[in-house]
Amino acid sequence: MTAPGTLPAAAPARRSRKADRARGDSPAPARIALHIFLAGTCLVWLVPLLYAFYTALRPYADTARRGYVSVGGHYGTGNFSAAWVQAQLPHYFWNSVLITVPALVLTLWLASMVAFVVARFRFRINIALLMLFTAGNLLPQQAIVTPLFKLYQLVPLPQWLAASGKLDDSFPGLILIHVAFQTGFCAFVMSNYMRTIPAELGEAAVMDGASVWRQYWQVILPLCRPVLAALATLEFTWIYNDFFWATVLMQTGANRPVTAALNNLTGEFFVNNNLIAAAALIVAIPTLVVFFALQRQFVSGLTLGANKG
Amino acid sequence: MDIKPADGRTTSSGTTHPARTLDRRSLLRGSALGIAAMAASPLLAACGGSGSSGSGGGTTVTFGSNAAVPQPKGAYETLFKAAHTATGMSVKPNWVDHNTFQQNISTYLQGHPDDVFNWFAGERMQFFAGQDLVSPVDDVWQTIGAHYTDAMKAQSKGKDGHYYLVPFDYYPWAVFYSKSMWKAKGYEEPTTWDEWIALAKRMKKDGSIPIAFTDKDGWPAMGTFDYLNMRMNGFDFHISLMRNGDKWNTPQVKAVLDQWRQLIPYYSPGFLGLTWQEGAQQLLNHQAGMMVIGLDQIGTIFTGAKADDLGFFAFPEIDPANGQQAVEAPIDGMMVSKSPKNHAGAVKLLKYLGTAKAQQLWLGSNPADIATATGVDASKYTAPQNAAVKLIGGAKNLSQFMDRDTRPDFADPVMLPALQKFLNSPGDAASILSNVDKQAKSIWAAGG
Repeated sequence: MTAPGTLPAAAPARRSRKADRARGDSPAPARIALHIFLAGTCLVWLVPLLYAFYTALRPYADTARRGYVSVGGHYGTGNFSAAWVQAQLPHYFWNSVLITVPALVLTLWLASMVAFVVARFRFRINIALLMLFTAGNLLPQQAIVTPLFKLYQLVPLPQWLAASGKLDDSFPGLILIHVAFQTGFCAFVMSNYMRTIPAELGEAAVMDGASVWRQYWQVILPLCRPVLAALATLEFTWIYNDFFWATVLMQTGANRPVTAALNNLTGEFFVNNNLIAAAALIVAIPTLVVFFALQRQFVSGLTLGANKG
Repeated sequence: MDIKPADGRTTSSGTTHPARTLDRRSLLRGSALGIAAMAASPLLAACGGSGSSGSGGGTTVTFGSNAAVPQPKGAYETLFKAAHTATGMSVKPNWVDHNTFQQNISTYLQGHPDDVFNWFAGERMQFFAGQDLVSPVDDVWQTIGAHYTDAMKAQSKGKDGHYYLVPFDYYPWAVFYSKSMWKAKGYEEPTTWDEWIALAKRMKKDGSIPIAFTDKDGWPAMGTFDYLNMRMNGFDFHISLMRNGDKWNTPQVKAVLDQWRQLIPYYSPGFLGLTWQEGAQQLLNHQAGMMVIGLDQIGTIFTGAKADDLGFFAFPEIDPANGQQAVEAPIDGMMVSKSPKNHAGAVKLLKYLGTAKAQQLWLGSNPADIATATGVDASKYTAPQNAAVKLIGGAKNLSQFMDRDTRPDFADPVMLPALQKFLNSPGDAASILSNVDKQAKSIWAAGG
């Protein structure tokens, strides 16, 4: 922008042209294209969801007679209440809580310790250590399922910890594998974030006589709230959505999480898609709740970690 | 946590931002408490759970069931209650949905399986018996042997000649139709291939879909292949092909696909994108005339007042030498795991489940299956159920369906897409078969 006063005649003219544009008399084509693109993308993402919701509102008999792409017949929330009862969703939601929450808390806690050491201290293997954790992220889960399954069968657990008496088919076993797989990504993101915290903060703490533990627990960790919230949202979704480990490492049907319970609505041959759509929508709600609860931190946390790393 | 130095430090900054310091400290304390609580919760829950589920032996038999959906689940619950009265054994079921149970059977049996579990007859049973993952049940058969036909006995034995399965329910595959529609149009059941094609032609002229064939799921096509192969090349050739996988690239199998091509013009439009349920619906709505499917599937669509409207005939004869002797009738049953906690209880339970009384109790008003044991009260069956008993009773040989008669690592990964590919481009039959043959040889060579 030119300094005001140097070109008194030209400046108002330019300003008014800009004002015209802003008022929408002739919006820039790029802006129109952007909005068309955004609306289109929005639609592409929403249509399956709305279609699932529409299907869930209709009884199976109607869609079987009229087809899924049709209007008419009965509408109601019968499928939702049937799914809630038939799939025993409350029971399986609780199983999901028992798996997701401890796994989430342990992952964030352990990852924050790794990140703290890697980001705040300089020593010979610190980059190598971070790379090791990040590389663990790239390991395909399916590749290690057989050895892991065999291993789990050999690790005994006390009866009060797991009814199976083994790490296989137990809650601690599932929690452990989630912690193992998710720590890498969390350590990577958190170490990037912690690097953005001025080193002087740590130095000042040392001058005050703070131990390493106190630097971690009382100086660095409280500043990491945004990144912790962001990771908590992501990790919650990932661990909660897990179906693979839950089916392979848990053989007792009643102990599986809610993702596996959705399958309890599928018969050997007969599938009531309307009922399953209703159940799937119910099961998706907790991730939304977590996202909206932590939304503010989620956005700031992710961008902070990304562009200042 | 030592609080004193922390207090000393925070007050210096806290004088300017009292709210923030409080916030941070309470957050820390809260999160520490939270971690402790969360870490303890699974332990507590596992602790509570172990009390009820840890009991084994004595009068409890654990039962791994693949029937988590309400319909068969309720029937099983009724059955287990009756079993408790009859045998004194209380059954503790582990409900898992059908598909997950099936796909995870290997890890399930190698993990810590339940005493008794739902499984299938045929190669699927022999495969796991051969791997020594299940117990023989010869002692059960000493009691229940009299209730079963020889064809059923043959389907319950492993390759070593021991019994491994107690058959429970089964159903036939056939060509199904709606009786009311046929009556209105004056159609008659064909018995030979030429009659069948002529009927299909007539239906097409009448403006309906002659054969509701739908193969999005992949497996429905296997039923047609099995029947064509058994009718043209005989039961023994079919079973040997399924078990040994060595004759896929032969003129006999090629002839089966060539014969199949004659049917394709009469199939539902867009059949590769339709599920079997949509096909069955075409039959129910009188849009389509016939459907090659199992009673267990179509029986769940023709329910209530419509149940007796369901008619069927045996897959037509192609070669008079083979006639219509073989019937595809997949058998479901129960097996005992390798080292059950309560072996005596499992035997007692299976002896009860191998009776017509128990099986009929389980069937209840379910019109889609029939009992495997003899001595069932036929008056409680629907018309299609009685017809199914007659069809199977007259069969010389029973096959189990392709995915139960052949190796599990061959049926779904190789045959399912191969058949879909053939139906999509029937002209490529030769190259599809030579490809199947190559894969079959490598699978059998690797898996013994």
